[in-house]
Amino acid sequence: MKAMLAAVVLLLATAACGADEQGAADDGATLTLWTRAATESVSKAYADAYNASHRNKIEVTAYPNEEYPAKLASAAGAKSLPDLFAADVVFAPQYAAQGLWADLSEQFKSLPVKDSVAPSHVRAGTWEGLNFAVPHTIDLSVLLYNKDLYAKAGLDPEQPPRTLREFAEHARKIDQLGGDVNGTYFGGNCGGCIEFTLWPSVWAAGGDVLDAEGRSARVDSPEMAEVFALYRELYDQGAAAPASKGEAGPTWLGALQGGKVGIAPGPSVWLDAIEGKGVKTGLAPIPGVNGGESTFVGGDAIGIGATSSKTQQAWDFLAWTMSDEAQVEVIAKRKGVPVRTDLAANKYSSADPRLVTANGLVAKGKTPYARNFNATFNDPQGPWLTTVRGAFFGDASAALMAGNEAITKSLRQE
Amino acid sequence: MRTSYYFTGTALAILFLFPLVWSGWASVRTDTGFGLENYARLFSSANGIRPVHVLNSVIVSALTVAGTLVVSTFAGYAFGRFRFPGRNLLFLLTLAILMVPYATILIALYVLLGWLGLEDSLIGLSLVLIVFQLPFSVFMMRNSFEAVPIELEESARVDGCSSFGTLVRIMLPAVRPGLVTVGLFAFLSSWSEFFAPLILLNSTSKFTAIVAVVNMRTASHGSIDYAALEAGVVFMAVPCLVLFAFMQRSYVRGFTSGALKG
Amino acid sequence: MRRRAVSGALYATPAALLVGLFFVVPLLLVAWMSLHRWPLLGKPRFNAPANYTAIGDNALLRDAAWFTVQYTVLITVLLLAIAFGLALLVQNRRPGVGFFRTAFFLPMAVGFASASLLFLGLLSDEIGPVPSGGDSPALGSAVLLVLWRFAGFNMLILLTGLQAIPLDVYEAARIDGATRWQLFGRITVPLMRPTIALVLTMMITGSLLAFDQFWILTRGGPDNSTTSLVMVIYREAFVRLDLGSAAGISVVLLVLLAVVSSVQLAVLRRRSA
Repeated sequence: MKAMLAAVVLLLATAACGADEQGAADDGATLTLWTRAATESVSKAYADAYNASHRNKIEVTAYPNEEYPAKLASAAGAKSLPDLFAADVVFAPQYAAQGLWADLSEQFKSLPVKDSVAPSHVRAGTWEGLNFAVPHTIDLSVLLYNKDLYAKAGLDPEQPPRTLREFAEHARKIDQLGGDVNGTYFGGNCGGCIEFTLWPSVWAAGGDVLDAEGRSARVDSPEMAEVFALYRELYDQGAAAPASKGEAGPTWLGALQGGKVGIAPGPSVWLDAIEGKGVKTGLAPIPGVNGGESTFVGGDAIGIGATSSKTQQAWDFLAWTMSDEAQVEVIAKRKGVPVRTDLAANKYSSADPRLVTANGLVAKGKTPYARNFNATFNDPQGPWLTTVRGAFFGDASAALMAGNEAITKSLRQE
Repeated sequence: MRTSYYFTGTALAILFLFPLVWSGWASVRTDTGFGLENYARLFSSANGIRPVHVLNSVIVSALTVAGTLVVSTFAGYAFGRFRFPGRNLLFLLTLAILMVPYATILIALYVLLGWLGLEDSLIGLSLVLIVFQLPFSVFMMRNSFEAVPIELEESARVDGCSSFGTLVRIMLPAVRPGLVTVGLFAFLSSWSEFFAPLILLNSTSKFTAIVAVVNMRTASHGSIDYAALEAGVVFMAVPCLVLFAFMQRSYVRGFTSGALKG
Repeated sequence: MRRRAVSGALYATPAALLVGLFFVVPLLLVAWMSLHRWPLLGKPRFNAPANYTAIGDNALLRDAAWFTVQYTVLITVLLLAIAFGLALLVQNRRPGVGFFRTAFFLPMAVGFASASLLFLGLLSDEIGPVPSGGDSPALGSAVLLVLWRFAGFNMLILLTGLQAIPLDVYEAARIDGATRWQLFGRITVPLMRPTIALVLTMMITGSLLAFDQFWILTRGGPDNSTTSLVMVIYREAFVRLDLGSAAGISVVLLVLLAVVSSVQLAVLRRRSA
């Protein structure tokens, strides 16, 4: 009897408390949200829809991609971070470790849909067992191919490659069309581009590039070496565009929009941008050398600024962004990839089978995890780019061996 | 002799003007021919330039020019015409501003503006821009004041002018070319300064136009919309080019009126 | 006389306040940071001299220092030669000289960030008229940008020095039968020494602190071949988020610059005395 009474009291208390929180969480507060320019349109779409149905108001500020980390660091140094900020998901472990985001573990635990929230993103926002960030946008690496060039080269536009070897064959065949047509294209001077497009092939073959804690590299694994060798051969034979060697990112999209590239790995979000230029484009998962498929689950993670005093209201927004309503009516409607694995097929994506393919990859793909990821892999001055350049254009096996050591050292640097 | 002078001069002038002309041409070139589509994209895309950004740029430039002129005129007068304790130290410190890597003191400046309640403020940004303008402008004004004949000042003093009266009535007209040059450079650098506003301003409504232009630079994975970028470059450059072309005479005189003789 | 000292000090006060608040205070903070492990949030921990001893182990920094020195020599030599040539070309009043001066000086009107963006397009494969092909000559593009933007400015400063040389000095030498090269070597250059020293100081300081042109144009690549010292400081602070290390490198660089500049200032002083 006593126990039952206690239970009832507890229940009432939680109920009352919950109702209370609901009121306090949407009390008309103004929340600042920072994001990088590449993500701005998504952040604004979330904010507009949220502002229309809530009393809280989200104000979005976007900064240039390249300088965004500097902006965050100086704001953190001055203890004046915004209420909410998004960041490239691979930077998330570093920001979590530095304490730039507030701890969300309790709130996240009580989120009803937590089990279907993109697991690799959630893992990226975790530090020492605590959750600091949740997914904001998802960008997947996929194979994008030019359907017209496929038909011209006598390939079936509805039969994309199932293995990386097949991908190479297709690229060579299309390259033989001659003129200014190239078989494939890659960002040979861009560390971020290469990890995004090549690692999935390693994962598809069951290999890995990093250990789970992000403290040791496995760049010298046979799986990685095989993938590098395959692309290197395409470049040496001229099947990959010569501009691939110097490509640091700026002209990558433009090259695919030009309609002169047969098949190339790239971000799924470019599908619209490429078709907008009148290039009929197919989409397929990135395969391993001998089969299998995977993807790099990129995009942005978002958390609550550690110096914010409006954590309840900020969480109200974050919880809402992961709701069915937001994921379908904001993200899926604008052809984005939902951050929830259970919403891969929805009323908008069912109109375009390519989107269902892409969305389905979220559950299969990976987001690499390392505290020093940016300094090691994305930063042009990091050891990864040196390794990549060696593997493509220098002494490959020596570059991978030396690179593995340098990368491991950089990953462990305090 | 004469023809070779004109030949060399013209060839060099073409080389120097070519990038400017090209950027104008590239900014109006489109997929289908020529048109203002790139400019339309510059002003209408989600992270493009808004009228408020241009207004902010104008405010920051005006504050910086005014502040630089006032501070460097007083300082130049002090260094050029007075002896006082700490004079050399202050002068050397001012020149030393040139020697600090920008990236280094930005975080410190950000913290400092927070203490002063000038976070995310156009006034705070202008103060920082004035400071970075000081080495050039104080040096220039000191030399301009030094170059004014001492007799001019003495005659004013005989007339019973205070030092401030002398400054306003006699000295200012005499150092006008220096003032024009200092003002022009303050305008140029504050109008197109990129890193300081990026770090020191926190809300879209406070951004200056150049931040919006650089925002246009990148889509995902570093890809660049070059045509809109060149439109942005032209948009930012035109006011400066017009000003420079028209004031050529004044700033050349500013330099030659003894201003930079070391 | 005392009253004049007071009014002088009063006139200098606004500048002194600004320099003190926005330069000296941040500088002291940087020096203080360099003695600590300084996290973005949370308590700093005293660790001197770890940030300084780490400088020796930083291979990227060593390469960057060597590159920055090479770049500085290259820019200084080229920029001085070109600016001097331009100044000689436009020193005399004749028809059209105003147009030439304006043409050479006009690039200065484009802000440095804008100019870097302009060259990014100009040298791009996508829309540039002079595409560089796969392997971009990264250093070349940065040098070109700096020469284009700063040649006119330095020309103008050198012009002021040239025009300060009294004409009768040349006349006297010419009567003595000096050739044009002798005039240049024995009169122009020696009398221009203070101006040349000023221009050199600005060029060297600017090149040793080079950042924008590499940040926007080359990102330090390819293969770290254009990574400058300030880019390494930027990486330590904003990529590795190690503010103490960034502050340590900055302090060393600042001291080196102060030494180089004071040597040059000494030359400048000696000549104008």
